[in-house]
Amino acid sequence: MEIIIYGIVNSLTLILMSIGFALAYGVSRIPNFAHGALFILTGYLTWLLRFRMDMPYGLAILLSLIIVAIIGVALYQIILIRVRGMPISEIIASFGVGLAILEFLRWSGLKGTAHMLPPFMSGSMLIFDVPLDYQRIIVVLGGVSVLLFLWFFTTYTKPGLSLKAIAQNERAGLVLGIDSDIAATLAVAIGAVFAGIAAIILLPLGNIVVEMGYEVLVFAIAVSVCGGLGSWKGAVIASFLIGFAQTITVSLVAPHYHFVTALFIIIMVLIFKPSGLFGRQKELEERV
Amino acid sequence: MSSNNTQNILEVRDLLVYYENAIAINNVSLKCRKGKITGIFGANSAGKSTLMHTISGLIMDMRDKEKKKGGERITWFGEINYNGENITNMKPSDRARKGLILSPERRQVFPESSTMENIKIGGYLATREQAKKTMDYVFKLFPELINLKHREAGFLSGGEQQMLAIGRALMAQPKLLLLDEPLLGLAPSIETRLAQAIKAINTETGVTVVLSEQYARPVFPIIDYGYVLENGSIVLEGSGEELMNNPDVLGAYFGM
Repeated sequence: MEIIIYGIVNSLTLILMSIGFALAYGVSRIPNFAHGALFILTGYLTWLLRFRMDMPYGLAILLSLIIVAIIGVALYQIILIRVRGMPISEIIASFGVGLAILEFLRWSGLKGTAHMLPPFMSGSMLIFDVPLDYQRIIVVLGGVSVLLFLWFFTTYTKPGLSLKAIAQNERAGLVLGIDSDIAATLAVAIGAVFAGIAAIILLPLGNIVVEMGYEVLVFAIAVSVCGGLGSWKGAVIASFLIGFAQTITVSLVAPHYHFVTALFIIIMVLIFKPSGLFGRQKELEERV
Repeated sequence: MSSNNTQNILEVRDLLVYYENAIAINNVSLKCRKGKITGIFGANSAGKSTLMHTISGLIMDMRDKEKKKGGERITWFGEINYNGENITNMKPSDRARKGLILSPERRQVFPESSTMENIKIGGYLATREQAKKTMDYVFKLFPELINLKHREAGFLSGGEQQMLAIGRALMAQPKLLLLDEPLLGLAPSIETRLAQAIKAINTETGVTVVLSEQYARPVFPIIDYGYVLENGSIVLEGSGEELMNNPDVLGAYFGM
């Protein structure tokens, strides 16, 4: 029982960390390697607004999400738009921005363990005799609502549908009146906001440290590669796969093996399905 | 001449398109009458698709992508007038907003979206009412698609995909519909079926149609005026009947 419940929590943690990355890649084909940096940036901004400027917690969260969305827009419009279509340059450019943000934060005082966000609710409850603190329940609820929002957004709204169109065939979208730069900007901005939401939900479980930014990026890439780049359904399945495997390893073998398990699963998936679990498959290639 | 201008929804004047130093479109001028069907015929590499890309604006996207990659330099000169407005350097999405919609070569449906979702995406520019009305029209025009609503478009047959591509383009509320080789690779019976559907769209909704084809026979009965492209230049033009009776054309483009 413990494994199931903590497995779910762990999986949704991975989903929260990676879904923004998977979304931005799925739509604009831009691997946003600044993802982890945006994650930490949101956490730190919220901390600054809450404890240095004495804002109410809710307002601080809202403001930092808005700021990170604007940073996402700027990241695309100022930098990534110039290298669009050249994968290596996109990775270098976005990773460079990420490094700059993270190391700037470190330089401006984000080090040590002094920075913590308070949990939304403290305390814990028993679920099937397993103690679970409220913040981890919020992780589950937050992860599920992010997924529901994403599903609704891409199924029923015009901007969401336009993102899906551009992800599949940019030129066919262009001639239907969809501006691919606007769609990509939107995707990177939403990806950034998802990184921010993940930070606000997950960071109260630990300290805000720069290293966490790199870790989030690694997990986001791992989950996306395993699920099949560009497929957010794949990312969800991969999150569950890796999440449960990690939890099982932690409880049956030893805690420090959890990273090894993740890498082992990725290698296995890539051996048997090189394009990832839900990567673009040959059978869907255009029929003439 | 001014009364003539209002009748022409599209006027291309002295168009030249270069891929690096190779000329793809050589001094092409053509006019499309409002409410009519215009055909553009030519063999592979005659410049049909390049012409369609230049009219729809996709060539701007191609140029920008090539430029970033450091690939071929794509340049064009001349003038494209749409409804009396010079659109030569307008983004494709803005042209679409003005009612100039391309149904691209090889259909280009969104393969991982369902038929229904493809149609919904097509309605990106439409209001809710327009979308609903057009959707009903598309399913009336292509009843074959009704039972395929929930199937992934990548798994449809070629003919079904083409119907979907045309339906999707109609959803964008075109005033001028460009069809790039709509009959490419289809069985003869489906060719006839689609040609009739294109004619029906033209007469029932009043949309002006420009279509390009390699093989002219199936679309010959529906076109009002046609141009024959060869090596990027227009070598012949005339009404459908005039083209049909030209002995040079007979062998080369009509397969007779």
